[in-house]
Amino acid sequence: MSGVEGIEVERAAQPQVHRRLPRFYFAGLLSVLGGLLLWELVSRFLVANTLFLAAPSQIFTAIMALARSGELWRHMSVSAIEFALGYVIASVLGVIIGFAMAESPTAKRALQPWISGLYATPTIALAPLFILWLGIGIWSKVLVVIFLVLFPVTINTEAGLRTTSERLIEMLRSFGATPRQIFFKVSLPSAVPFILAGLKLGIGRGLIGVVVAELFGSRAGLGRLIAQSADAFNMPELFAGVVVLAVAGIVLTAGFGWIEKRLVPWTKD
Amino acid sequence: MAPKLRISHLGKRFNELHALLDINLDVERGEFISVVGPSGCGKTTFLRIIAGLEPASSGEVLLDGRAVHGPGGDRGFVFQNDSLLPWRTVFANAIIGREVAGQVGAAERQRTMELLKLVGLEGFENYHPRQLSGGMRQRVNLARALAIDPEILLMDEPFSSLDAQTREIMQTELMRIWEEGRKTVLFVTHQIDEAVFLSDRVLVFARRPGRLLESVVIELPRPRALAIKRTAEFVRYVDHIWRLIEDDVRASVIEEKV
Repeated sequence: MSGVEGIEVERAAQPQVHRRLPRFYFAGLLSVLGGLLLWELVSRFLVANTLFLAAPSQIFTAIMALARSGELWRHMSVSAIEFALGYVIASVLGVIIGFAMAESPTAKRALQPWISGLYATPTIALAPLFILWLGIGIWSKVLVVIFLVLFPVTINTEAGLRTTSERLIEMLRSFGATPRQIFFKVSLPSAVPFILAGLKLGIGRGLIGVVVAELFGSRAGLGRLIAQSADAFNMPELFAGVVVLAVAGIVLTAGFGWIEKRLVPWTKD
Repeated sequence: MAPKLRISHLGKRFNELHALLDINLDVERGEFISVVGPSGCGKTTFLRIIAGLEPASSGEVLLDGRAVHGPGGDRGFVFQNDSLLPWRTVFANAIIGREVAGQVGAAERQRTMELLKLVGLEGFENYHPRQLSGGMRQRVNLARALAIDPEILLMDEPFSSLDAQTREIMQTELMRIWEEGRKTVLFVTHQIDEAVFLSDRVLVFARRPGRLLESVVIELPRPRALAIKRTAEFVRYVDHIWRLIEDDVRASVIEEKV
């Protein structure tokens, strides 16, 4: 190739260099460390009362103590199992229901009022009822997580399949593609970014669901840890539970972003 | 010999509006035919009916003597908008027509690679569409249509979204590629000089109702270089066609403003 287009080619084919990345990390790190330092100083010298505000160093000590005694792992594993079970069940169900709604107008008409209604309802308030039905074991929490994660996944799956580009469908149709081929070669891949966005939303909602449901009644879990620390006015331990949850949320979301970048790189430009 | 493509008494109505009225046309094997006309003359609808993407209201389309009722692998469509699948590589995009037909053996893969080379994309097989320029994307669009080895190539304003220079390059590229295989081509465009440069025959459409006004035979020697656009003969063809549609174009421009 030569001429005008050749120049265009070279520009388009150049790999993009992220030179600003280290600096960006540096600013973020500085901001977090500065914030922690400020928090430490305020709680030690200004508030000077652990009951009202525990210092980061005290929280860190509490986390280490909980980890050494094995308490932390016990609570974390219970919460993790509840979250994982609810999240997986809700994801599978959500994708299936979303597909059904996108493919069948009857299914959509029948399910839409329930989906819209339940998505807007703070179902977390029903947690005490679920505990009454299913006991204070893990299943009442799994149900709460399912309720919170199911709807964003369903809604996004349906929207993703519905908004498939007409142009792309027509392109495939021009080659004589069957509806089945159109679904698998165009609709499904173009819905993947939407489905992933729904699943990502589900992470935060699911984590909140686990903890709040545990607060209402449970034998173990991070919510239980937080509740019993609050009862004992042990604020460093209460913060420890919250911090572990925050870290879990950050790690899961970041891990998800990593998967997203590999599964749907074309959306990241 | 029977014509490659025969269109007889073709009509298309959208409610009260005659988008196309009684179109008759015979296209010989290996002919390069362009369709020009003002907006709203039904030229794109005409192409889409031949592609089987839209049904005709009356009349029929015969390809190699067989009536066209829906889309099929005997016609390759090059879209105005490249319509590439963003998650597929250049190669995977180009071979999708074969994939739909369930033919992705070594021979088809080999052929697709050759076509990508022919359209000037050798070495870009594993790139994704977002990494390509507009001109390159249209090259993939063309290779994708050629990869099914169609009986006829249907091109719907494929260069209209490109800048003027890239557009001229693509016109000569298309000529070079066409000389290699001499496929039968129907090319819709709104640029008269593009139509004259590429074609053996230019069909001039009029609007309200959409109809075939005149079929202008272009007797310029082949192969043609871009310089031919500056010859008196070329300009005469362009002027002639422009005069045929001038009033219609003015009318359509005024309508668009309103």
